[in-house]
Amino acid sequence: MDKQQHTCVLVSDFNLQNFSGYLTNDPEFPRIHAITSPFGQTVSTLLRSDAPCWQNTPDVAVVWTQPQAVIADFNALLRYEQVRLQQVLQQVDEYSALLVNMSERVKYAFVPSWVLPSYRSVFGVLDMKTEIGLTNTIMRMNLRLAENLEKASNIYVLNTHKWIEQAGNHAFNPKLWYLGKIVFGHEVFKAAVRDIKAALGGMLGLARKLIILDLDDTLWGGIVGDVGWENLVLGGHHHLGEAYVDFQQALKSMKNRGILLAIASKNEESVALEAIRKHPEMVLKLEDFAGWRINWQDKAQNVADLMAELNLGPQSAVFIDDTPAERARINESLPEVLVPDWPEDPLLYPSALLSLGCFEMPSLSREDLVRTTLYLSENKRQALKKTVGSVEEWLSRLSLRVQVEELHPANMQRVAQLLNKTNQMNLSTRRLPEAELMAWAENKHHRLWTLRVSDKFGDAGLTGIVSLDIQDQNAQIVDFILSCRVMGRKIEEAMLAIAIDHAREAGVKDVYARYIRTSKNKPCLDFFQSLASRFQQRGDRFIHDSKTPFAVPKHIELVQ
Amino acid sequence: MAKHEEITRMLFNVIDELNEIRPAEEHLEKNLATPLTGDSGRLDSAGLINLIVLTEQKTAEELGRPILLTDDRTLSQVKEVFATLGTLAEYIQRLLSEKRDG
Repeated sequence: MDKQQHTCVLVSDFNLQNFSGYLTNDPEFPRIHAITSPFGQTVSTLLRSDAPCWQNTPDVAVVWTQPQAVIADFNALLRYEQVRLQQVLQQVDEYSALLVNMSERVKYAFVPSWVLPSYRSVFGVLDMKTEIGLTNTIMRMNLRLAENLEKASNIYVLNTHKWIEQAGNHAFNPKLWYLGKIVFGHEVFKAAVRDIKAALGGMLGLARKLIILDLDDTLWGGIVGDVGWENLVLGGHHHLGEAYVDFQQALKSMKNRGILLAIASKNEESVALEAIRKHPEMVLKLEDFAGWRINWQDKAQNVADLMAELNLGPQSAVFIDDTPAERARINESLPEVLVPDWPEDPLLYPSALLSLGCFEMPSLSREDLVRTTLYLSENKRQALKKTVGSVEEWLSRLSLRVQVEELHPANMQRVAQLLNKTNQMNLSTRRLPEAELMAWAENKHHRLWTLRVSDKFGDAGLTGIVSLDIQDQNAQIVDFILSCRVMGRKIEEAMLAIAIDHAREAGVKDVYARYIRTSKNKPCLDFFQSLASRFQQRGDRFIHDSKTPFAVPKHIELVQ
Repeated sequence: MAKHEEITRMLFNVIDELNEIRPAEEHLEKNLATPLTGDSGRLDSAGLINLIVLTEQKTAEELGRPILLTDDRTLSQVKEVFATLGTLAEYIQRLLSEKRDG
């Protein structure tokens, strides 16, 4: 778990002291220490990099403003003066430029969208009219703001309307405004804290990647072993059946966003799989699941086996089961697995899943979209492994191909994602937003390569990063990152070969890797220690004499 | 009329909510003797505003009747009404009984 406290600067034209309190006191990870800049000085705070709040390199900024406070012509529109929409949008552009400029001072910036309390919309029928309606204008302003801020890879516009909806009647309280210049009620701030922490967690690689599901009374209603698949409550003109279908659809949408699904169920495997294959209302098909354990064994053992098979740690998994005793068992034996309290009423299943807030991803790559397919390919690979006599023979029959590319705008999003999410095969666990990573790679002393890995079973996509910092006679391997999906196929050695080959060309004496221990990156230490004949360990450093070449393993075709 | 215990329980819920936004070392105790304002009080102006708003909100929600704590009558005797949790509880009880009498 991320134990670090992240400093967050709050910039606003109104009083954010309550928001600051909720943000700082929230016990969930990642922990945040909020610094509130003086309210009402938004523009000058954004402009001045020497303002006190920006000192000590904060990690995060939240810039939360009222539209009338930063867009002058919108303020005029509030007084029902005539303004031109084009003029309003131009001011949004100017304000966006200030935000982009500010974003260079932090790793991540969040900008809640603009809203207007509903009581400000006096003329209902005109509210959606272009150039007259306040709501029409504010919607256009928000869209323009979101489009403008897409240029900065570390700024995220957040949906304030969602928080207001969640807060209901307590979203606005005129007393808070008139007495304390606090725009929103407490519930809005609490909802904002939940979303911001979930988003930050995703950026820091803390998002969950796997949902392990029970079957009976979880994915469908009824016990399939007792009633048979034909009599399960699923779909049809039945309120519970519809809720189960909606729950499956929500799960399928998660799967389409790169979250893996798996099954842990106490059942006869053949009976359960027949239900999945044959029930006409099953939204989830067998190929939507990256793995399953359907048997009568202890569920905690099955969950642990599934995580091992998928090469994911317990901190990546969510376990959903309708039976409190099974949830308690997982809670007790695998405390890092997230086991949400699950509602008794199946009508609440879809909303319970969608409100978990632990799957946030700052971006969506090609690899995310096809993740389940990648795991199914891995199952085929492992099946081949069982049929051959040795690991070497298995590797030689995979037809492994590694394509090496430098960092460029087209692969930047995926590289940043890999850098910020990978935990196990990660030498330094360096976390950087896209802009900082690009700036680092552009330094004349630095080189960074990315690796795309494929074999005869499929394309694992961009799954490796290795980078070098060359100073005088030494080259330091700064990043050494490989997705757990392709670990153990000696891609690691190909990565070292790339880096060492370059360092030799640059004429350096030694190439070294400095291992920075985390709670999760022992596989990386094990790998370097396994190279004892080629890398000498001195404390946390592994040193290679660059006089000695380092060969690419024979079973790998390296394409540069 | 709301019993004193009901008002106390409601105020303790207000304190729970207030503590969510206060640093741990400044948490208010759920005790009727807890000083709120004045020399030994622990609330600054923002804290007092939150106390007022949350108390009005929770009185309506939990005791079923709205009260007003931002009128001249209350604000002219802030030090007395908000001296401690206990003085606030007594004031709320008085407001609620006046409502019933009226």
